[in-house]
Amino acid sequence: MAMTAVARETVFALRRQIAKIEGTLSERLQAPVGERPGARADNDVGSGITPEIDVTIVRRGLAVAPPDAFLRTGAAPLDAALSGGLPKAALTEIHGAETRGAGAVAGFTLALVSLILKREPRLPVLWIGTSEIFREAGFPYARGLHTSFGIEPGELLFSEAPRLVDALWVAEEAARMTALTAVILEIRGSPQRLDLTATRRLHARAQSAGRPLFLLRQAGEAEPTAAPVRLIVSAASSASRATIAGPLAGSIGRPAFTVSIGKSRTALPGQFSLEWNPDEHVFEERRAGEHRTKNPVPVVPASRRRKDPAPASGAVVAFPAVASPAAISPTARDQPSRPQRPAHIGPRRAG
Amino acid sequence: MISHRDRNAQRISALDERAEALHLKRGMGIADARAMHPSIDVVEADPEADRRLLEGLADWCDRYTPLVALDGIDGLFLDVTGCTHLFGGERAMLDDILARFFHQGFDVRAALAATPGAAWAAARFAGDRIVENGEEEALLSPLPLAALRIEPDIRASLESVGLRTAGAVMAAPRAPLARRFGATLLLRLDQALGRLDEAVSPRLPVAPLSVERHLAEPIMLTDDIERLVRLLATTLKADLERRGEGARRLALLLFRVDGAVSRIAVGTSRPLREPLMIQKLFHERLAALEQDIDAGYGFDLVRLSVLTAAAFDMQQADLTGETDDCDADIALFADRIRARLGDGAVLRPVIVESHLPERAVATVPFSEVPERSSPPRKSGRNPPMTIYPPTTIYPPERPIRLFRSPEPIEVPATEMPEGPPMNFRWRRALYRVARAEGPERIAPEWWRGQCGEDAPTRDYFRIEDSDGRRYWLYRQGLYGASQTSPRWFMHGVFA
Repeated sequence: MAMTAVARETVFALRRQIAKIEGTLSERLQAPVGERPGARADNDVGSGITPEIDVTIVRRGLAVAPPDAFLRTGAAPLDAALSGGLPKAALTEIHGAETRGAGAVAGFTLALVSLILKREPRLPVLWIGTSEIFREAGFPYARGLHTSFGIEPGELLFSEAPRLVDALWVAEEAARMTALTAVILEIRGSPQRLDLTATRRLHARAQSAGRPLFLLRQAGEAEPTAAPVRLIVSAASSASRATIAGPLAGSIGRPAFTVSIGKSRTALPGQFSLEWNPDEHVFEERRAGEHRTKNPVPVVPASRRRKDPAPASGAVVAFPAVASPAAISPTARDQPSRPQRPAHIGPRRAG
Repeated sequence: MISHRDRNAQRISALDERAEALHLKRGMGIADARAMHPSIDVVEADPEADRRLLEGLADWCDRYTPLVALDGIDGLFLDVTGCTHLFGGERAMLDDILARFFHQGFDVRAALAATPGAAWAAARFAGDRIVENGEEEALLSPLPLAALRIEPDIRASLESVGLRTAGAVMAAPRAPLARRFGATLLLRLDQALGRLDEAVSPRLPVAPLSVERHLAEPIMLTDDIERLVRLLATTLKADLERRGEGARRLALLLFRVDGAVSRIAVGTSRPLREPLMIQKLFHERLAALEQDIDAGYGFDLVRLSVLTAAAFDMQQADLTGETDDCDADIALFADRIRARLGDGAVLRPVIVESHLPERAVATVPFSEVPERSSPPRKSGRNPPMTIYPPTTIYPPERPIRLFRSPEPIEVPATEMPEGPPMNFRWRRALYRVARAEGPERIAPEWWRGQCGEDAPTRDYFRIEDSDGRRYWLYRQGLYGASQTSPRWFMHGVFA
């Protein structure tokens, strides 16, 4: 989606035309930053999220979409890029590049759930996972969830399904319930069964129930999905703890995430750095120019007993950071792309 | 002919009619039998399979009475007290049992008596017979000693003094008998004659409520079974309402025409009596068991039992006719999931007072939640739960995901002996530690029996690797405490 500003403007104009012909504007359309949108005339509600960004109207049929149809993350650039936030009554895919980064993916999702719980009646949250992912990435730990996200143990329900089919069935049953705040479905890899049809079924149920369904895919590839939004989340190195005497050197502060938009009908791909405040339960944008600690540890040779694992065959191809929606996370650049891995090795255990 | 190994020799343990006609006997050596008749067929005995068959038959006998007990390796006790009128009287019931077993291909001897001992003796030595109350003595008198259910060595010593029938033993004075042959003999005798009560311990607990339907035409389709479940549940509802209870565990028994019995149980999170809900639960269970249930020639008796019942607190609807039934929704949802995927499919965390991370949270199946206090909450908001002791202002940092069993990692070097690792290898991948916090020392719970006082302490470190991933590691033990260097483990993942 790397296009010039002119081409972008054309696309937006065309979209607006189409929407006008169809009589609906189903999405918020974000106008390019700094440029005046062409069809300013039909802006009934110009709810500026930040002053410099113009947002066109939201219409669903004839009625203006309710303002709480979107879950605002609280980080202004991400909200603006998503044209108001994540859709609340929808399936949202959240990808992690590797299973070892499962903490960040789960943490980001739970942060979103925590944001929902703050505003709505505190109904339980159901976390569904296959046995595989709970074994590989760890089982959710209620004490940690309470300290980091303020989710009470009484509000948590876990469902462990031995197979993916069962997990999908549980998710479909759960997605149609209005008695849950949110449903989290966690899957590892890119199984065949989780195709466009399966995601569409999930999305349709979530839409009709009006509850969010988060599909966590650890080490999954970008595949066709019915989810309107796909985010790719990886861990970012955190800032130091703030003390009265300034940042405490060498300490690990609040959890930080790098979020990139992998798919959105309206947003441009981009990368965002967020920081979760576990005390206030809000997202904060990472301050620009913040000093991140460099790795102070010199590289030491491999351990005593084993050598480094053999490098994967094939050339390492660097992906452009923002150009392709598939590989945006910074770690993906260091990894060989998936088809180049030797076939006999199979999926990597480490993620 | 069936052989078994007894004291290092193959002996005949059971034989069919044709073998009996050849004058072979139980207990005879296989070698002798082969010498007499070289063409006999010998099959190794399989006590396990015999046991399974007997249990299957016991299951099947559930259709006559819920009180069925196994007796030794080849018998069944049926306590039919109060059941006979359902089958048209004692004689009709006995005939029905015999006929059905005969059609299934079993050679059964049955008898009905007021005491288990008399029935046992009558079935084995008097054939198909109903012993009236008070006739036990007359029945037993002519029978051999084996009819008294006594040990072979007691029997042999009785016979050696000339007491060859039960009648002779009954006529003998009791005190010398007890002194010489032990209390068992008189106990058995009294039990058979009804002077002492004998309890028959049933295999399965008796369900407080059961509804069943005999079908003239066997049914095979799952849909039919589900429809029938709904009919039965409707009948059950009236009974449950009368008792003011709801079902917590339900069992569906499907009796197949040829004798096999399928038992399908479901549990519910809250007392349930709505027929539609019960049907839904069994729908999930049947869907999950689709391959395991073999309808065969069809089921001719379907029974729905309430295994456990609990008080059912009525919920009053408000004036708009809507009740806040979020909890009920979730309970039903959890029941359906558990009906299909098993009891552990829906879990909820429970905070345990412990400082060991893996013990501090227990996950229990959803149904084990203690009953909520009535009246039901208005807003669906949980009461605030204190999960940390009030003395702790800042709860300790805990990971959001914990590995079920800590995974060993390789730590080649640490900067300080007691400090965090500089890098480590986990699941064959190398991680460089960029920052670390810790240690947080967590000692084992010495007051619990299994981990002794010398169990190593754990020093937990919260580390961030060069890519920003945050992990929770610990070192088990201390450097220099023993010859081997301490081991490191990966225990959790932070957000």
